[in-house]
Amino acid sequence: MKQITILSGKGGVGKSSITASLAIALLKHKKIICADCDVDASNLALVFGMKEGDYEEWKNITTNKKARVDLSKCTSCKKCVESCYFNAIKWDIKKNIPVFREFGCEGCGVCELVCPSKAIELYNVNNAKIGYGKTKYDFTVVSGQLEMGESGSGKVVSAVKELAKAKAKDADIMLVDSAAGIGCPVIASITGSDYVLGVCEPTPSGFSDLKRALLVVKHFNIPYGIVINKFDINEEYSKKIEEFAKEKGAKILAKIPYDKSFTDALVNITPLIVFNPKFKALFDKIASNLSCDGII
Amino acid sequence: MKNNNAKVIGITGGKGGTGKSTIATALAVELAKKSRVLLVDMDADCPNDHLLLNIERNNPITVHQRIPKWDFKKCTKCSVCADVCETNAIVRIDGNYPMFLPQQCNGCGACAIKCPVDAIFWDKKAVGTIYEGSGFGIDLISCELKINEPVSEIVVEKAGELVKKRKEKYDYIIVDTAAGTHCDVISALGLCDFAIGVTEPTPLGLHDLELIMKLLSRMNLPFEIVLNMYQEKQDELVNKTVSKYNKAIFAKVPYKKEIMIAYSKGIPVKEKSIEKIAGWVETL
Repeated sequence: MKQITILSGKGGVGKSSITASLAIALLKHKKIICADCDVDASNLALVFGMKEGDYEEWKNITTNKKARVDLSKCTSCKKCVESCYFNAIKWDIKKNIPVFREFGCEGCGVCELVCPSKAIELYNVNNAKIGYGKTKYDFTVVSGQLEMGESGSGKVVSAVKELAKAKAKDADIMLVDSAAGIGCPVIASITGSDYVLGVCEPTPSGFSDLKRALLVVKHFNIPYGIVINKFDINEEYSKKIEEFAKEKGAKILAKIPYDKSFTDALVNITPLIVFNPKFKALFDKIASNLSCDGII
Repeated sequence: MKNNNAKVIGITGGKGGTGKSTIATALAVELAKKSRVLLVDMDADCPNDHLLLNIERNNPITVHQRIPKWDFKKCTKCSVCADVCETNAIVRIDGNYPMFLPQQCNGCGACAIKCPVDAIFWDKKAVGTIYEGSGFGIDLISCELKINEPVSEIVVEKAGELVKKRKEKYDYIIVDTAAGTHCDVISALGLCDFAIGVTEPTPLGLHDLELIMKLLSRMNLPFEIVLNMYQEKQDELVNKTVSKYNKAIFAKVPYKKEIMIAYSKGIPVKEKSIEKIAGWVETL
């Protein structure tokens, strides 16, 4: 099974819309599965019109630990506060006890290690849930949702991809919709990919952010192509992106014009290519580009 | 201004691309007409405020994180360091020295505490840069994560220290956060006295708006919601969602081609709704 990851650096440039329409275009010739790896703000299933009740199963997972203190054993030595690199423990002067902040504990275990009276222990937290279900287009989407303010998003992304592999059966392609940014969850999304599809808007920020994301991709030595979304809102910038692609030996897989149906399709929770069939040719072209280059 | 400590306002939104930076920059420029304003770009993964305002960034400060280093003369290959490492940055290789993967390391220090022969001391790795600049009458601090480094939060925390030191110099500090609801966003919001959640009238915007409102409530941070890219009659669902938190949409920034073009050219957006938000901020 080939893994294709869709990323952009900048948020809101059309990753999920493009992933969904590409999925439908690929369906004609291939068996696919989608993994929504934006576990901070998982939206892909929604683009296919999937609702909470359409999921076959959700399960809580633990990819993180947190520290807690048994105050009856605490001798108020403050060693935990002094040794926490993340400032996750504050000292309550009045009560003379440590207070663990709700957000901020990385679960590193240093406080447990330094506590002379064994008052601190790490415990597993259910920091995320992952689930899967079938879309009305008859393929599976796997999603993950990190609990509010929890850390460990990279590990949750890996868990979503693992579940997608387990549910893939005889799928030929796994489409991975990554989060915005270039940090931990994006690195986890890119890991193991055979190809990356970078989505870019012709704006200074869109271009700058895609370039930063592609530097991460380059580190993994994964080939990539670029889709320019709304290319006609600033053709001068679109040219810059095309020149950049040429210089890097990357293909421009498609140039998508600005169209109000992008938003209307989202509002109607229907993939763009189903909502407005005039986009079919464009996504078929992306699919055939991928196929010509031997990616799929 | 009588108050000598700046009011800190966070601009956030959950979903990416809803217009956080557009509104943060426009608001900063609007407030700067009367007041001293610092804009802090805390989207370290993808900093854009300097691009939106065409501000050249100078004075780079490198942000470091500590990482362990081994004195192999002392190391007995016991690999206890690997056993206590929760992020798997240290790999046990039986009979050999432990292997270290610096990118996985969060600097917690468990390895150094547990090493029985004190063979571990501290080195550092660069994880990002903080820049400064100014333009349109505002000062800018801009965070940037180093490529291939996973933890933006460290850069954001460091910029937060700078911000705290400078509170006296400004009337308003506008903090522009990254997308999402995890550590780097929480760390940025932790600096703020008030927050503005920016959303868009799509089911995706709505879904993420709920998450960010939940987070802001849990952080006990007073907030208002701004609907960006508003088109006629597309506010019903957003209003319904916002009303769950006993609020109404505070301001609507209309969907206009002129705004998009100004944005793509690096010109701050001028709009009545931005003046309304600035007016509100001035009453805080």
